[in-house]
Amino acid sequence: MPRSVWKGPFVDAYVLKKAEAARESGRNEVIKIWSRRSTILPQFVGLTFGVYNGQKHIPVLVSEDMIGQKFGEYSPTRTYYGHGVDKKAKRK
Amino acid sequence: MSDDLLCVGTIAGAFGVRGEVRLKSFTSDPYAIADLAPLVSEDRGQEFDVVITGQTKNGLTARMSGIVSKEEADAKKGTQLFVPRSRLPDLPDDEYYYSDLEGLEVFDTGGAPLGHVKSVHNHGASDLLEIKLPNSNATVLLPFTNAAVPTVDLKLGRIVADPPLGIFPEQE
Repeated sequence: MPRSVWKGPFVDAYVLKKAEAARESGRNEVIKIWSRRSTILPQFVGLTFGVYNGQKHIPVLVSEDMIGQKFGEYSPTRTYYGHGVDKKAKRK
Repeated sequence: MSDDLLCVGTIAGAFGVRGEVRLKSFTSDPYAIADLAPLVSEDRGQEFDVVITGQTKNGLTARMSGIVSKEEADAKKGTQLFVPRSRLPDLPDDEYYYSDLEGLEVFDTGGAPLGHVKSVHNHGASDLLEIKLPNSNATVLLPFTNAAVPTVDLKLGRIVADPPLGIFPEQE
């Protein structure tokens, strides 16, 4: 069952604080967070978060199409990379 | 680099009694293995044309040139199938094959070595370069973005990185 709309999206308060501080400082840094349950908000777009996966912080560069998802979705806790000799990487 | 062989699949055994084989494909679209034919064995001694005939539980079924009976298919079980790197299609600027990026040396903007690319991942956000640090088994993940990786020089085999603070341990 989805979360009630009247509550608004859930974000841990410390994530908001850290994101705001990073944006104000203008420094190019990874914001380390442990809150995988927090929702990605529009004001996070363009910031790089280090989302903990239980072992290390996985860098997640937030883009517009990630708004509304949870941070944990981009930081897998299990390692299976599969095959793909012709996989391509694109610089964004 | 252009003549390096890339393993794109392997023969998993016979399928049926009429010379078809079970094929494990390692391309991102499994059916694309047929587009890369002719495939070669590791020693480049044999060439195979591939026609995909269907799929089975653990892969594809195919008919391959030079294999006409179940016995021949069984004998080829375990054969790895390769394709020369030069046969992969060219990509637009700012797009790279994972296999091209792996192994590149990484330097910072001042020219100091940061390590080499061990592998490339994508967890749904941007692509990530896994960089093995020099004189250590530790690895770090660097976002593959224009800001963090301003220069990729495949000919010289090097990457210039301008990593955000907090990526490399000594930056913290």
